[in-house]
Amino acid sequence: MELQTIGLTKKFGPKTAVDHLDITLTGGVYGLLGANGAGKTTLMRLLGGLMTPTSGKIVWNGRNIRQLGEHYSQLLGYLPQQFGYYPEFTALDFLLYLAALKGLEEGVARKRCRELLEAVGLSRESRHKIKTFSGGMKQRLGIAQAMLNGPRILILDEPTAGLDPRERVRFRSLISAFARERIVILSTHIVSDVEVIADQILMMKGGQIVECGSLGQVLEKMQGRVWECPAPAGQAQELAAALHTGSLRNTPDGIAALRVIADASPMPGAVRVPPNLEDLYLCYFNTDGGHSEPIPRLEQTGLREKKGARMR
Amino acid sequence: MKRLIQFELRKLFSRRLTQAAILVLLLFSLLSNLSLYQGRYAYDGDSQEGWGRKAVEIDKAVAKKYEGILTDKTVARMMEDFKIDEEKDLRGANAIYVYENATQSAAFLRFAASDGSWNGKSVFEVFGQEKIKIGFIDGWMSVSQNLIRISLLLAVVVILMTAPVYCGEYAGVDALIFTSRYGRTLCPAAKAAAGLLAAFTVTAGTVLLNLGLGFCLYGTEGLDCSILFHTVEYAERGVPFNLTCRTLLAYQVLLAFTGTVSTAAVTLFVSVLSKNPLTALAISGGLYFLPIVVSVAESHPLFRYVVLLPVYHAQFCSLMSVEQMKNGLLYAMWALPFAVLLTLACTGLSLSGWRRHGLF
Repeated sequence: MELQTIGLTKKFGPKTAVDHLDITLTGGVYGLLGANGAGKTTLMRLLGGLMTPTSGKIVWNGRNIRQLGEHYSQLLGYLPQQFGYYPEFTALDFLLYLAALKGLEEGVARKRCRELLEAVGLSRESRHKIKTFSGGMKQRLGIAQAMLNGPRILILDEPTAGLDPRERVRFRSLISAFARERIVILSTHIVSDVEVIADQILMMKGGQIVECGSLGQVLEKMQGRVWECPAPAGQAQELAAALHTGSLRNTPDGIAALRVIADASPMPGAVRVPPNLEDLYLCYFNTDGGHSEPIPRLEQTGLREKKGARMR
Repeated sequence: MKRLIQFELRKLFSRRLTQAAILVLLLFSLLSNLSLYQGRYAYDGDSQEGWGRKAVEIDKAVAKKYEGILTDKTVARMMEDFKIDEEKDLRGANAIYVYENATQSAAFLRFAASDGSWNGKSVFEVFGQEKIKIGFIDGWMSVSQNLIRISLLLAVVVILMTAPVYCGEYAGVDALIFTSRYGRTLCPAAKAAAGLLAAFTVTAGTVLLNLGLGFCLYGTEGLDCSILFHTVEYAERGVPFNLTCRTLLAYQVLLAFTGTVSTAAVTLFVSVLSKNPLTALAISGGLYFLPIVVSVAESHPLFRYVVLLPVYHAQFCSLMSVEQMKNGLLYAMWALPFAVLLTLACTGLSLSGWRRHGLF
């Protein structure tokens, strides 16, 4: 089981959305991270066969997916970033229609639809019209349809958008259970989702994969570069703007905690903390230049630490 | 495939706009037939006159007296019986219009001079060798005329119904469809089949309703009588052939089907190419009515080709007029194979367009 892109390129006029991409995906969950315009959706649409590449090819087990045609579609489950639905259809009808399009026998389709509606927590609403559904319910229905045919390749573009925390946890468990012996490609802006369920992280920028590996591997280069810095709440915003700050948390006693990415201690009192995926993401996407830019120390910013400010 | 067609039909008929359009069409058919019926006036030339049901009864009674093959004897009897009595009739009014839609009017139209007396013409001089069976044809002629009007509305409903078939999916379901096994193969075929089937079904429903109303309001009288003994009121006067009302209606119904089904096929093709249903609706509607808007004269050589387009299937009288003949073959006959070819070509192009959609 191997899905491979070889020199995969997609151009829209002068803009290159996917740039000579060579990746090999085997079983497991792949978390695709990247800022808006990084080329994630284009890559997903290419993998889904919805677009033809400008150059290069996508190969499934050694065969070009263009040659595989219908056979490749049988292996595929796809949830686009935004999808339409039929307002007058019930959830069950919508799934049954897509099951028919996926070539499932009617009996099998009914059983599978009920199982999936149960799995995504929509079994009680199976006979309700989709037009009465909330955004989260529609999203869950979208996830269910992608899994209808038990796909070997599951492509999910922003699957957790609109889901509440409980639904997201349910979704993660569902994907984790589903991912055995399959390739799941998951694109999202919600870094914590990727952190929890992805076996491999693919970080995309400018149409290219800039990081690839397990969570441990991709975080390796961030080791020792993430600092938690105490600052008076009044100065926190200024400091955050001046430093390469990941997050800012204000405490009730007037002290703010800044999570700063820097090669060396950015200010007195800064404490080194273990990196997480969000740090890596922000390192790449917080500024145009990404982590290659020199990260300033506090002295270089012209700001001074207020006396008495300490981390709690 | 059968399941896919069923789903596509459900999609088509579950749209509120489609349901509303069909309801309007059926209501219009009902009201139009009833208003024509209620608006009928008859005068037997003696003592009876009436509106609506009474008018039909009077007209039927008059027609019954002269029922059968039209002969010179019948003409003489009619001219004698219908003679204008200046005491009773409106002075100076044309007898054709005094009697409106009845047998009297048809007789005066062909056999009377301007003063209402016999013009001296024989049946042979007016109709040639044709055997003209006369009777109460007015009811079915009005059903036929009503069908012409309704056919235009029917085409609009079909366009409204089928315009979103393909482009309605471009709002976001297309990605789900195209990544499924039959998304580019059976799905477009099922869509086309459902679109054509829906057009056929709505046409059948409309035709059945109108013919059903015809039977309820006028009975079966006149179905086997010639349309050539019509009154001045009807568009069918342009049809020069000795057809019975039944044959005329059968051909009209056939052309209603070919017209709407080929209109559906053209709309499906436009739908594949359009970005959204509104665009598809506007373009398809424009294409359908273009031949009428451009208005090519019947005498123009181009009209012989324009007349084959679906809008003229609805306006079937134009197709059957004598100007539209070449080498003894009526252009109306070409309308049928033309509609089949148009349907096949547009359906084929729709399937091909859908398969290539988004693959750039």
